[in-house]
Amino acid sequence: MNFLTLDWKTIFPQLLKGTLTTLQLTAIAISLGFVVGILLTLGWLYGNKPIRIFCRGYVDLFRGTPLLLQLFIVYYGLPRYGIRFSPFVAAILGLGLNSAAYQAEYFRGAIQSISQGQMLAARSLGMSEFKAIIHIILPQALRIVIPAWSNELIYTLKYSSVAYMIGTTELMFAGKIIAAKNFRFFEVFLVVAFIYLIVVLIISHFLRMIEKRAKIPGLQMIS
Amino acid sequence: MGRRKVVSVLMVLVWGIVLTLGISCLSLAQEKPTYKVVSDISWPPFEMVDEQGNYVGFDLDVMRAIADLKGYNIEIKDLSFDSIIPAVAAGLADIGASGFTITEEREKQVDFSNSYWTSDQAIIIRADSGLNIATALSSGRKVGAQRGTTGADWIQTNLIDQGIKVELKLYETYPLAVLDLINGNLDAVIQDEPATRASLKKQESLSLAGIIITGEEFGFLVAEGDPKGILPKINQGMAELKASGEWEKLIAQYFGD
Repeated sequence: MNFLTLDWKTIFPQLLKGTLTTLQLTAIAISLGFVVGILLTLGWLYGNKPIRIFCRGYVDLFRGTPLLLQLFIVYYGLPRYGIRFSPFVAAILGLGLNSAAYQAEYFRGAIQSISQGQMLAARSLGMSEFKAIIHIILPQALRIVIPAWSNELIYTLKYSSVAYMIGTTELMFAGKIIAAKNFRFFEVFLVVAFIYLIVVLIISHFLRMIEKRAKIPGLQMIS
Repeated sequence: MGRRKVVSVLMVLVWGIVLTLGISCLSLAQEKPTYKVVSDISWPPFEMVDEQGNYVGFDLDVMRAIADLKGYNIEIKDLSFDSIIPAVAAGLADIGASGFTITEEREKQVDFSNSYWTSDQAIIIRADSGLNIATALSSGRKVGAQRGTTGADWIQTNLIDQGIKVELKLYETYPLAVLDLINGNLDAVIQDEPATRASLKKQESLSLAGIIITGEEFGFLVAEGDPKGILPKINQGMAELKASGEWEKLIAQYFGD
């Protein structure tokens, strides 16, 4: 093992480009998962029966099948029916829709941990159910969910490496190409691992700061 | 636990260890050596899985025939193409048999057997695309190749490095690149000629745009310096297979019509 003999001048820009793609992929996928996840949770908790069944089915389906399989279906399977995505978009869809299922579960846990009495109180003050969710329940739930959601963000960042299998040129893919070219798998993968670690550490630091600032003093949980 | 109990447990342990060591030494002395062969088994007709789930193909059958002739056992493992050389170089496997072109770059990492096959690069396109080999490899086209292959290198050094802006897309396996071509995400795929002909037979929607004469020689590979002395066995084995006519039979089996 010798890091110095690697051609860093050409390797570094490739890894940097891969890292940026990984960050973009993660940011867009986690946002997509956030929006879909909230809709799924609300549908599950407050929707009518068909909506409830759909939301639960979605969560079961996406949590119950491997991410790699979902990516393969989106990228290699759908073109058979004329639906075609670039590897990057396919990875966003696969990761985002997968993450939505997990995020929905986190949101549901957070919402259910808020006292039922709050919804009743809001309704008795004349708020509609929708208004109560928007103004009373969600603002609290979104704060409670931050620690669990941080986990999901970090998972998504790391699992985005699976997208190399459908040819998304993210960090893992960049590492694989460099390693395949100079046969230096060990060194290159160590560097790739180090980059993932640094990014995750920075992200978790920021999330902890947000968590502290968003804390609700004296928050009343299930009673 | 009383003291006597501890002693007897220890005795049993010691005897157990002695016995296992003894038996494994004995069996080592008697058994033929087993070499681990690694191959990217998604590349017919050189390496593939048959309907019963067995690993077959020209490379692998040659490996088995040589092992029989030369008196050793082999254990075949499926590994992604670009991981084979690092695995053999690191001693995780003994022989790489996966249609490897002998190149200078690879020679720096591993040792090759005598050449056993000559191949050129082939370009395939969708039959209805209306492209030819010139238009399929012009600026703006998307060309697929397997990661770590000489085909991918050819596109890089002879097109991209020369300023022809084709987009080279790299895949884990060759069939995935072909699938993406069929799906319309690529304009062409480059791959060694024999494997290309095999996939053309199965896919009527594809056609051959042309052959790029590269005259590449395939070799089996072992770790640098051949620490286990496998290369002479492989080279002799190949010569014997050719002399006995077995070699021609395998060629007919996998490359005949």
